[in-house]
Amino acid sequence: MAVVEKPGSGSDLSTIINDERYRAIFYQILVFGIVGWVFYSLVDNTLTNMANQGKAAGFDFLLGTAGFSIAWTPLDYKPDDSYLFVYWVGIVNTLLISGIAIVLTTILGFVVGILRLSKNWLISQMAAWYVEVLRNTPLLLQIIFWYLGAFANLPRPKQSIELLGIDWLVLNNRGLYFPNAEFGDLFWMTAIAFVIGIAGAIWLNRKATERQLATGVYEPTLVKTLGAIVGFPLVVFLVTGMPLSWELPVLKGFNYQGGTFILPAMCSVLVALVIYHSSFVAEMVRAGILSVSHGQTEAAYSLGIKPSWTMRLVIIPQAMRAIIPPMISLWMNVVKNSSLAIAIGFPDLVSVFMQTSLNQSGHAIEIVAMVMLFYMTVSLTISGCLNIYNKKIQLRER
Amino acid sequence: MSDAPTTSDGLRVFKPKPSLPPPPATTGVIGWMRFNLFDGIGSSITTVIGLLLLGFLAISFYEWAFVRGVWEAASRQECRLSPTEFGTCWAGVEFWFTRFIYGRYPDAEIWRLDLMAIVFIAWMAPLWAPKVTAKVMVGLSAILVFPFMAGYFFLGGDRNWFMAIMVAVSMTWFAGTMIHVAACLLTGKGLGHWIITLSGFSSRDDRTHKYPLLMAAVVAFGIVYFVIQSWQLPIVGTNHWGGLFLTLVISGIGIASALPAGIVLALGRRSEMPVIRVMCVTFIELFRSVPLITILFMATTMFPLFLPEGVVFNKLASAIVAVCLFSAAYMAETVRGGLQAIPKGQYEAAEAMGLGYWQSMGLIIMPQALKLMIPNIVGSFIGLFKDTTLVSIIGLFDLLGMISAISQDPQWIGLHHEPLFTAALIYFIGCLAMSKYSQHLERKLGAGDRR
Repeated sequence: MAVVEKPGSGSDLSTIINDERYRAIFYQILVFGIVGWVFYSLVDNTLTNMANQGKAAGFDFLLGTAGFSIAWTPLDYKPDDSYLFVYWVGIVNTLLISGIAIVLTTILGFVVGILRLSKNWLISQMAAWYVEVLRNTPLLLQIIFWYLGAFANLPRPKQSIELLGIDWLVLNNRGLYFPNAEFGDLFWMTAIAFVIGIAGAIWLNRKATERQLATGVYEPTLVKTLGAIVGFPLVVFLVTGMPLSWELPVLKGFNYQGGTFILPAMCSVLVALVIYHSSFVAEMVRAGILSVSHGQTEAAYSLGIKPSWTMRLVIIPQAMRAIIPPMISLWMNVVKNSSLAIAIGFPDLVSVFMQTSLNQSGHAIEIVAMVMLFYMTVSLTISGCLNIYNKKIQLRER
Repeated sequence: MSDAPTTSDGLRVFKPKPSLPPPPATTGVIGWMRFNLFDGIGSSITTVIGLLLLGFLAISFYEWAFVRGVWEAASRQECRLSPTEFGTCWAGVEFWFTRFIYGRYPDAEIWRLDLMAIVFIAWMAPLWAPKVTAKVMVGLSAILVFPFMAGYFFLGGDRNWFMAIMVAVSMTWFAGTMIHVAACLLTGKGLGHWIITLSGFSSRDDRTHKYPLLMAAVVAFGIVYFVIQSWQLPIVGTNHWGGLFLTLVISGIGIASALPAGIVLALGRRSEMPVIRVMCVTFIELFRSVPLITILFMATTMFPLFLPEGVVFNKLASAIVAVCLFSAAYMAETVRGGLQAIPKGQYEAAEAMGLGYWQSMGLIIMPQALKLMIPNIVGSFIGLFKDTTLVSIIGLFDLLGMISAISQDPQWIGLHHEPLFTAALIYFIGCLAMSKYSQHLERKLGAGDRR
């Protein structure tokens, strides 16, 4: 193509063929046509097959009675509720288990990540092997291991294991029993006091920072912060006459009565999810802290900032920038991986809706679409938050 | 000072005393331990706690695996009643080990799987031998041509015309590759060179060199085709496939299809054509945002509805399609990450050189991007290898599926821990080897970037 053709010098057809814009349009039409044809034939086949089987597509079945019971849910579900309510139960169970797992896995992961960076050789090696072993075995295997290895062999209620030696925190083959909080009439005042306390603490810290920026005087705010967040609600709580009581689980006959419990299967899923993902968090934390160049530490020291402040004010804020984006996608993975609970019978969304309800009602397409819609909503929400965060830290950079 | 050495003209010479050895507590094992294990009270306490924990774990494991281990028994009951009470039943694992690896594949036919494993290793191994030429060809053929031979050996039965040709092509190619490798290792020149030399074409124009090569390939193919024409293997249905073999088949196909599909999707996502971009983004985001288990359920429940009447898709095929879709979406994001890391100047330079889109991608961008992506690509391979366990939920007997199958065998009923431990060990070794190799590769390829 050494000779550049002037417009109009060649034939019209070759100009069109060689013009990138027309070629782009042609390719797009081609691809769209192929994909469209594939879709059309899939839909066509589906409709024929469904007509042959005498099935009708539609979401009417959602209002029909589900008719099966669900082993565990915090909601008030009865077998004669509708499929729509089953969907809701599944969503709540999934979000609950992944929410708890996310909090615990983040804490445990941070601890292991910091141990991994310990100057003590033995500790850092142990943390490294913890990470390697857990990262390199499948999660499903770990869930089954925790279930069959630990939580399926628990004793009967009469021989329950009392955790920490407390008789209202027990573990047996029916599950983990713990007290249930019963809120009194005036508990809402304590809750409001707590919210006010947090707002107050934020305000106090802001003012302290402003004063430090203006005058250079550093003023510790820890006591005031604690006072605002813990002390104030506590005072309100005591003044309103302690409107909170605990309903303890008590052994009556063959089982515990009162209190709340979670299934052994749920315990295994939680333990497995937390431990498995904590190894990933540990690696992120380690990589994040190591990504802050050593020059930052040296610069801080040469300015006379003491080591503990250097860590808190110089290293951690910069490390967070590298830790948080992968952390958020890990949280998304926790939500997705909680669906493996199906293997040991914990009733999460996939188990109650995609397996039981689907097998019973036979509405495959609608149910698969609804389950996927839920996971997509969660993941789009999370990645939306991630994008906002990324924009924010980008602005701070320059 | 009077005894200090002096030169002939009476000047004293400075002669230092020999330097003292470092304090004994800072060198050798003791010094290392003091610095790394007992550096202060806090460090010493954590070391002791760590040692206690480690000791406890080691002793409990030793007791469980070895002290109580029973290696010879006919059933789980026998293990339990063995001299040490509640023996750890390794006998069951031993008895079922072949099943863990090969699934329910007939014993008489297991040689086929072993043979294919050997063929695959022999096909891939030359890539690590420095003397071998035309490595790209060898590697690509191992991925693109080998599956036909392997597929036939695994499945057996009749060959339709397409499989008949492809199996023969595959066998010819394998033989050619082996001769080529041997020629390279022994003489330093490849098979192509020898064919051209021996046929007397080496003195002719370079453009005619392809004729003897083509001729040789066709003749070899013809011979193989007619030799194996009436040869047949007994059929082994996919319902007999299982164990580690099935895990490797599913993850192998997933991995082999993920990379090309991922590259295409990633390029599509970065394309300037809106229709193509929207389609790629939709595909990637859809399959990345839902768990693999929902895709597997979708495959088993919805694929039968999608297909025209009369076409039956077995469970294994649905699972493989699901795994491929899933891994392609993940690989696309990995590739996109690598592409984004390439500075814009490289794209502009390629354009300035007059390279078209495919040339600049193939010659400039992709080679650099793939190098950057290696850790992440291996990471997704490891992830896929682990995720293959999910097919046991939809009722396929992969390694994990066989582990649960043993606990339902009347003789070994309820045997869970020992098989699970074995499977965990197999997965751990496989994944660790992959990740260590990727770290090694990363160092090797990154050598040019280090200062």
